[in-house]
Amino acid sequence: MTALKTASLAALMTGALAGTALAADTVKIGYQLPLTGETAQYGQDFRKAAEIALTEFNASGKPFKAEIVFEDSRSDAKEGTNIARKFVDDKAIVGVLGDFTSGVSMASAQVYKDAGMPQLSQTASHPDYTKISKYQFRNIATQAQEGPYNAKWMLSKGYKNIAVIAEQTDWGQSVVSGFTDGVKANGGTVVFSEFFNRGLKDYRSLISKLERAKPDAIYTGFFYEDGAQFLRQVQQLGIKTPVYSTSAAYSPKLIELAGEAAEGVHLTSNFLPTDPAPHIQHFVTEWKAASNGAVPGQFPAQAYDAVRIMLAAVEKAYPNPTREKVRDALAQTKDFAGVTGKTSFSADREAEKELVKVEVKGGAFVPVAD
Amino acid sequence: MIDPYYLQQLAIGLSLGMTYALMAIGFTLIFGVLNVVNFAHGEVYTLGAFAGLVLISATAPPIFAVIFIALAIGAMAGFSLERIAFKPFRRFTDEASLKSRAMRESTLLSSLAVSIVVREALEIVFGSQMRSVPFEYLINTPVRIGPVILVTGDFIIFGVAAAMLIGLQYLLTRTRIGLSIRAVSNNPLGAKYVGIDTDRTIIMTFVVGSMMGAAAGILTGLYYGAIFPAMGFVPGIKAFVAMVMGGLSSIPGAVICALILGISESMATTFVSSGWSDMVAYGFLILTLIFFPNGLFGARRERV
Repeated sequence: MTALKTASLAALMTGALAGTALAADTVKIGYQLPLTGETAQYGQDFRKAAEIALTEFNASGKPFKAEIVFEDSRSDAKEGTNIARKFVDDKAIVGVLGDFTSGVSMASAQVYKDAGMPQLSQTASHPDYTKISKYQFRNIATQAQEGPYNAKWMLSKGYKNIAVIAEQTDWGQSVVSGFTDGVKANGGTVVFSEFFNRGLKDYRSLISKLERAKPDAIYTGFFYEDGAQFLRQVQQLGIKTPVYSTSAAYSPKLIELAGEAAEGVHLTSNFLPTDPAPHIQHFVTEWKAASNGAVPGQFPAQAYDAVRIMLAAVEKAYPNPTREKVRDALAQTKDFAGVTGKTSFSADREAEKELVKVEVKGGAFVPVAD
Repeated sequence: MIDPYYLQQLAIGLSLGMTYALMAIGFTLIFGVLNVVNFAHGEVYTLGAFAGLVLISATAPPIFAVIFIALAIGAMAGFSLERIAFKPFRRFTDEASLKSRAMRESTLLSSLAVSIVVREALEIVFGSQMRSVPFEYLINTPVRIGPVILVTGDFIIFGVAAAMLIGLQYLLTRTRIGLSIRAVSNNPLGAKYVGIDTDRTIIMTFVVGSMMGAAAGILTGLYYGAIFPAMGFVPGIKAFVAMVMGGLSSIPGAVICALILGISESMATTFVSSGWSDMVAYGFLILTLIFFPNGLFGARRERV
């Protein structure tokens, strides 16, 4: 307790010193994310991760202070565009993080493209997002990378006839197309493919229909809420077909909600909270302290890294950072050692990340070799 | 011999329809009396589910205690909802105000306002994450009947919905309070003139309707195993469609239409992509409104 007090006092003092020395020079960054509505849980997590990263940055004695302006987009494309205009109009904002979904990120990207504002999304994984302009970056492996990777993985396990289902969104469509291309290129067959609406409660009709196609395995593009319902209902219907999924479903909540129905699910990830590396453990500890001991999932980790990548770019562009300078600094990001592995941006502003194969075993995500 | 696949889809549809019916009963009861849509019914449903969840996480109560607390919270929610969103608009009891459209439409908005406040408050208190229900409380153990697989919850929900429907019909047709509810729904001014305490009747209707909403919430929560602040929205829409199809004020009509909705959604999944199956509900709504403006079961004059 005393140690903690001294530490926070010290942090306060360094903060105060730096503040007085440079007459409180602050740089503003915008963050558009869903804080209310159906996807609020993700946005709330992003904000928590961003605040951890921001506090660390401001306490580390940098020559300037950073400030993040959070705006609630409710995962609504129209709302996202309005926020984008607001951010663009604020001359003090030099870079933007977000949005959560590919759809909203892409809608807002049109505004950022015209205004020349660098935009870094922690999660938008639709292939077209970064193609919009040279201002769009992402800190997530796309389905164009992940799909073929997973297709090879499943085919190597001897599953030739695969059923694919995904949510009816821009992202879900990229899951199906990325994976289907990978399966075809490697000699497998997609015997069934269908989309469902996000937030569907009852998957039993869809599961029964899917099973009629007699697949060897099921590949799924969903997030943990939909995933937990799906897995549970697969178990209820007594179906034993193996289920594979994308990194989007990688969240401790999946196991918490689905229970033993999640056993044996295979998926890929680029963040393992059990990794003993000190910077990862540091983030996990900070996160647990801020969320009643819950373990962070992949998305908050990506948000944490995205904020730090953005702040690093702003620092590189300092003094007098402009939107253009921040963009160039972002584009030069190389081997950024984040909690989701080393991140570099390729020439087309895609995050190059390593994927880890994971299986749910005994109520936990366990890395597997194949 | 029918393909067992279709039997399975039929069973799924029935169980889906049953969860809509559970919600539609309370919804229709309140509409039948007040002639206003209560947009906060979905939040009463969510409150019931959260009340049950809080009790489950605090102590390890028997299942009937969970239902009981949900009912109690539902009754309180119904009472407060009426007080906050509906009563202030009944200040004027002259005939012009009672028949005024503006008055009716303002409660539509005030109930919507309450629903937003409640949902956001739940989000602040509990967070917007889905919360899991401890596994021993879940009512989804698979049950195999011939080629069809259902879960225990399907039977419980069927039992509860049937009990609600029969109980409500008994209450409405055989008891004094039911008689006054029907009188108020038929002609509020007339009921007042013959000495019925209309305020009390309306409050009672809200309490009963909201108890049913809260029970529906906790049952569906235990059935799907996930409870979260936005959970009332989709069932609310489906219950609304069932109510409109059923003729706005007929409770058995709403239940039958809820079942039709469920079955057509699950059957539609066979022929069109699952992403389109929601269209079935809205398609039915439009067809009903065009061809049966009074609803499929709304031909009778008497309300409720």
